[in-house]
Amino acid sequence: MFGRFTFGLMLCAVAAPAQPKPAGAEFNRDIRPIFSDRCYTCHGPAVAMRVSKLRLDSEQGAKTVIVPGDPDRSEMVRRIMSDKNRMPPLSAGPGLTDAQIRLIREWIREGAVWERHWSFIPPKRPSVPASNAIDYLVRAKLGREGLKPAPEADKETLIRRVTLDLTGLPPTPAEIDAFLRDQSPGAYDKVVDRLLASPRYGERMAIRWLDAARYADTNGYQTDGERYMWRWRDWVIDAFNRNMPYGEFTVEQIAGDLLPNATLEQRIASGFNRNHRGNGEGGIVPEEYAAEYVVDRVDTTSTVFLGLTVGCARCHDHKYDPIKQKEFYQLYAYFDNIPERGNAQKYGNSPPFIKAPTAPQQAEVKRLDDAIADAGKKFAALNSEAMRGQRAWEQKAAREMEWSEPRALVAKFPGDLAMAGNFGFYDKFTLSARVNASTPDGPILTRAKEGKDAPEPTGISVLLKDGKVHVNLVLRWLDDAIRVETRDPVTLNQSHHVAVTYDGSRFADGVKIYVDGAARELKVNLDQMNQNFAVKEPWRIGTGFAVDQVRIYKAVLPPAEVAVLATPESIGEIAAIPPDKRSAAQSDKIRLCYLDQFAPYAIQDAWKTLLGLKEDRERFYDRVPTVMVMQDRPVPRETHLLLRGAYDHPGEKVERGVPAVLNPLPAGGSGNNRLTLARWVTDPANPLTARVAVNRFWQMYFGTGIVKTVEDFGSQGEWPANPELLDWLATEFVLTGWNVKAMQKTIVMSATYRQSSKASPELLQRDPENRLLARGPRFRLPAEMVRDQALAISGLLAEKIGGPSVKPYQPAGLWKELSGGEDYVQDKGDKLYRRSLYTFWKRASPPPMMVNFDSPGREACTVLETRTNTPLQALDLMNDLTFVEGSRVLAERMMKEGGKSPEERIAFAFRLATARMPNDQERTILLGSYQYNLDRFQTDSGAALKLIDQGERRRDPSLSVSDLAAYTTVASLILNLDETVTRQ
Amino acid sequence: MIDRRAFIRGAVGTAALASLLNADGGDGALQGIPHFPPTAKRVIYLFQSGAPSQMELFDYKPKLADLRSTELPDSIRQGQRLTGMTATQTSFPIAPSMFRFAQYGQSGAWLSELMPHMAAVVDDLCFIKSMNTEQINHDPAVTFCQTGFQLAGRPSIGSWLAYGLGSENKELPAFVVMISQGSGNAADQPLYDRLWGSGFLPSRYQGVKFRSAGDPVLYLSNPAGIDGGTRRRFLDDLAALDKINLREYSDPEISTRISQYEMAYKMQTSVPELTDLSKEPPHTFELYGEDARKPGTFAANCLLARRLAERGVRFIQLFHRGWDQHTNLPKQIRGQARDTDQASAALVQDLKERGLLKDTLVVWGGEFGRTVYCQGKLTADDYGRDHHPRCFTIWMAGGGMKAGLTYGETDEFGYNIVRNPVDIHDLHATILRNQGIDHTKLTYKFQGRHFRLTDVKGKIVNDVLAV
Repeated sequence: MFGRFTFGLMLCAVAAPAQPKPAGAEFNRDIRPIFSDRCYTCHGPAVAMRVSKLRLDSEQGAKTVIVPGDPDRSEMVRRIMSDKNRMPPLSAGPGLTDAQIRLIREWIREGAVWERHWSFIPPKRPSVPASNAIDYLVRAKLGREGLKPAPEADKETLIRRVTLDLTGLPPTPAEIDAFLRDQSPGAYDKVVDRLLASPRYGERMAIRWLDAARYADTNGYQTDGERYMWRWRDWVIDAFNRNMPYGEFTVEQIAGDLLPNATLEQRIASGFNRNHRGNGEGGIVPEEYAAEYVVDRVDTTSTVFLGLTVGCARCHDHKYDPIKQKEFYQLYAYFDNIPERGNAQKYGNSPPFIKAPTAPQQAEVKRLDDAIADAGKKFAALNSEAMRGQRAWEQKAAREMEWSEPRALVAKFPGDLAMAGNFGFYDKFTLSARVNASTPDGPILTRAKEGKDAPEPTGISVLLKDGKVHVNLVLRWLDDAIRVETRDPVTLNQSHHVAVTYDGSRFADGVKIYVDGAARELKVNLDQMNQNFAVKEPWRIGTGFAVDQVRIYKAVLPPAEVAVLATPESIGEIAAIPPDKRSAAQSDKIRLCYLDQFAPYAIQDAWKTLLGLKEDRERFYDRVPTVMVMQDRPVPRETHLLLRGAYDHPGEKVERGVPAVLNPLPAGGSGNNRLTLARWVTDPANPLTARVAVNRFWQMYFGTGIVKTVEDFGSQGEWPANPELLDWLATEFVLTGWNVKAMQKTIVMSATYRQSSKASPELLQRDPENRLLARGPRFRLPAEMVRDQALAISGLLAEKIGGPSVKPYQPAGLWKELSGGEDYVQDKGDKLYRRSLYTFWKRASPPPMMVNFDSPGREACTVLETRTNTPLQALDLMNDLTFVEGSRVLAERMMKEGGKSPEERIAFAFRLATARMPNDQERTILLGSYQYNLDRFQTDSGAALKLIDQGERRRDPSLSVSDLAAYTTVASLILNLDETVTRQ
Repeated sequence: MIDRRAFIRGAVGTAALASLLNADGGDGALQGIPHFPPTAKRVIYLFQSGAPSQMELFDYKPKLADLRSTELPDSIRQGQRLTGMTATQTSFPIAPSMFRFAQYGQSGAWLSELMPHMAAVVDDLCFIKSMNTEQINHDPAVTFCQTGFQLAGRPSIGSWLAYGLGSENKELPAFVVMISQGSGNAADQPLYDRLWGSGFLPSRYQGVKFRSAGDPVLYLSNPAGIDGGTRRRFLDDLAALDKINLREYSDPEISTRISQYEMAYKMQTSVPELTDLSKEPPHTFELYGEDARKPGTFAANCLLARRLAERGVRFIQLFHRGWDQHTNLPKQIRGQARDTDQASAALVQDLKERGLLKDTLVVWGGEFGRTVYCQGKLTADDYGRDHHPRCFTIWMAGGGMKAGLTYGETDEFGYNIVRNPVDIHDLHATILRNQGIDHTKLTYKFQGRHFRLTDVKGKIVNDVLAV
């Protein structure tokens, strides 16, 4: 591939018309960054910040202090070089550097040509050969720098690099062998296609997206309770694997819920904007946090899709970029129309959320529904027989006979109530009683104790107050409770049936109050339940007035069954009423009694089968995961600019809109909502979206973006290392219909990507960060790949796509020491060995190994990849159980699959980790290490046993203890190699 | 300010030179720092998490005794926002402290009977009674104290100092954190790793948590079956192998990794030596209290803080939990005071006796104060207090601080500040000043903006500084 290029061709490239002038000073590249960083604080776009009238963010303004062509007569030059009244002033730090002054002088001398900020101008497609545009443009630049590209990396290095980059896991020896054997010109092409088709590709791509989308498994504030967003995470993996076009990928995540006839999957996608943290701390001011959630959505959406730091305009006009404070709130207005509350749930998902069954769960629901329909038919077929039977039975039903629903009944009074049915906030229950109140105030049924912070009790209370039925489910009276009451009072001195149902949802609309079998209209006094209200107290029946026939169910009885419960007439009494004179509830009651106890076996059986299936379905559906989603209120909320960004200082009213400096909203379509915004983001006229996306891809493969500040394409961002290359990739992305896999392939097929990463000391000196790409990219693996690779090569890796997050090894006590509360409960079996993107991410205490290796904390959107090199990483790789067990299991593999001799076995493991065979020197060192350890473990078999008995995976007892221990140490050595944790 | 590290990154790659343990040698400070001659070289911040009640400990309000159970006047409350826990409370009865106060030392500082040991060292302390914050809930308030901003994501104060000043010690991190659980409110107010995180600063500046159970530093100990000699041989082999690859690739990251493994090995010795208290003489435990023998107590952590200070660790932060007394305050605060009083005083005294106090800054305080009015039921011997951001008390001691000073004043209800308010940004500016740093000049460019610990605010409280 590389041989097709010659130095001569590169020289030609320099003269190609698409190339910019090599020397001189260009405004966008050289001058704007200086103005932005050193002048715009006072002379920039922010009106409030401008202490002088001079504006250097507009050509008109700047030219009042510049004489194009004549630096010496330009006031600007005089001032930046002045000792006396220097600009920037002393208070703003040191003056401009000599180099900066030289650039400004040069730019003025050349005529002070002004340009709009580069990233706000749509990308222009350079006319270059499309077949190898990347290499053409990279080499053109190298040519100008007088550098040559490096030769292609050897095949072993290459297949390891591309396999890790595209799937996050290393190649197997068989895959390496196949590639080495394949001498055809398309050998590499085939590997790339195979990798892009692997489901591991979606997992690998998802990881960085989870960082960008601040995905986590907990709510992030205070108690940091668990939430459930993994259905969204699995949607991302699936979208990458299906190669969903980036445009759709974007639209569905910003506004999937607003698409016409949105599918379940599209609604799940909109969870992107619900991944932000949610505050469930007692006592917060909800409006304050509601505003923070909206700000987070605006910030994340802008950073991820547009590479803009619009968050700076929350409190004032942006200091550096042409984004007004008002425009920030125009964007805000797209995201604040969601029916949410500032006080998030402490545990679990906060509204709005939906049930999101997985595909197998959907199949199971369908199976159960079919079974219910089937059982319903069978029962219906017996209906006439049942009717006949019932009539016959009614004739002899005893006059005093009584019946009430026995299923799910946990206690009744008269009878022993005591401690049965200690319901908590996730439990469904029904409480019912017959009440004859002589006074308007008094308890009916309680399971409560004296409150801590208020005179009212903690626990469950059903009571009368002013004759109205109140239901209070209370942990803390003022701020952690559901409290509702009926709008109308009951009649005193009259027998009423009162029933309460609670569906375990933790919301007030999950509470119903029935009086005499009819649901009553409720007034909500507080709808803010966050913690369990169960208390260690017995049920108590009100003593102030007559309370009788108490029944407690561990289920929500449907309205018809509540009506049956409320029916005062006994079975015998109903039997005495002619069927056509009975009320619906009376008919139901006697029929249910008959079916429950007196029908012939076949009918009872059909009936109970039907009931059982319905219960099964409910139980199953209760376990179906939920996911938080976006949703719009039917009537849009009014949005105001917030003065200084403060939630309690609303300013002028604003309408939805996008920053004026960017492309206008797409014409046509009705209304202007999040979907409009999503269409605008993915409009090919948007100058940022494609550039920002391809730049992030580039970062994945080269360690650094073409624009290094992947999070900021504004004027404080870095000038692209190769603007034409960025624009070519961006236009290519759009032209291919936002084809994500095609873009990955284009990049990894380039000779630039395939270069060897070996560098001469001179080149390292010249281009330490490899911005020119005269060599291949070499950098440490991201955190999850360090772990996943160790699992893969030891053979521990348990591959399975998606599902709830898992809890692999981590040192004991980490959660508890922070919270004093619950501790981390490590999983068992395969869950210890899943890929790291499935590791449970607790924001208050993220997985320590991930943090040690620079994973972002997932508090807020992170798109910039960072890599450090610390002693904590060394300790982790040497001593973390993950790697200690991984070494031992790898050692077992060495002994079983690696051949007979120590040499072979060592080479086997070395190749698993690095994709190549060790050289003689390496072989000698590794063998020496093996021998040293073997000697030691042969004399100290106790130490050997201790080493190899760590971890949940049982060791193979047939292997020699000292030998296995020695190989374990060698395996650990291999896992600790710089080369192993680096893709080079 | 020219960011020397940024410059170096530009020249030789991010992690090639600097490291968590400052593998590049030298003092590792940014160019231009110190901006002033520092008056202290290190900080020990005894963070009292949950918000200790100033009403019970420091801020004596004798007139409240006569106002017991009366409503807090609206003229004092001034419609201030309250937490959702008491905002709907219908009555705000004044709850005077049930603890006795007296004046101590030459300085005559007021202190309650709950802090008898602190009373003995008051002349070394500088009390600020006029601290205030913008935040009324724990998470944002602690985050604000730690990072100068109420939402997660910015670097903590210890990370800023590690970034600005580098490390004095090559075998220990520049920023160490220790946690203890108080006997008070155990269930509430968790902490978060991000409180000592480095935010957008490189992660090597994050605080390293020293734990009392298991490894003091995560993954510090060799696995069972691997002894020191085996590890040494392992590291020699590893370095030899890495050097072979280094010759091929010339990547300076490889040399850095080799030296980081050596650093890790040194930590394996230096950290256990540091946390081993067995060689401390008996009088140490008389001074700090018998609790100091129990790993994970506040007292043990104070003793470790002294040992870390001796070894040149730059920023040592203790978090003591359990100060959130919404209810059951009198009983709980007695326990919290017992947890912290003796060891806090001992630390000041011990540092002083060892000549370390003159260049160590000790800070003692929480994230906000507590209300004068009662939360829940006010009875003869029981009451509670809600969060109160408008005023609270902290103390500082050591290098550069005016010993024996009481600064700032609150009204007779202990509700509003009437003299010399000090907010969190001011406190940060003052701590940085004390370390020789101009808080407006310690900046880091992120997302296009030059961020600093004090955001766009912060005034140095010169009145509390001895210089």
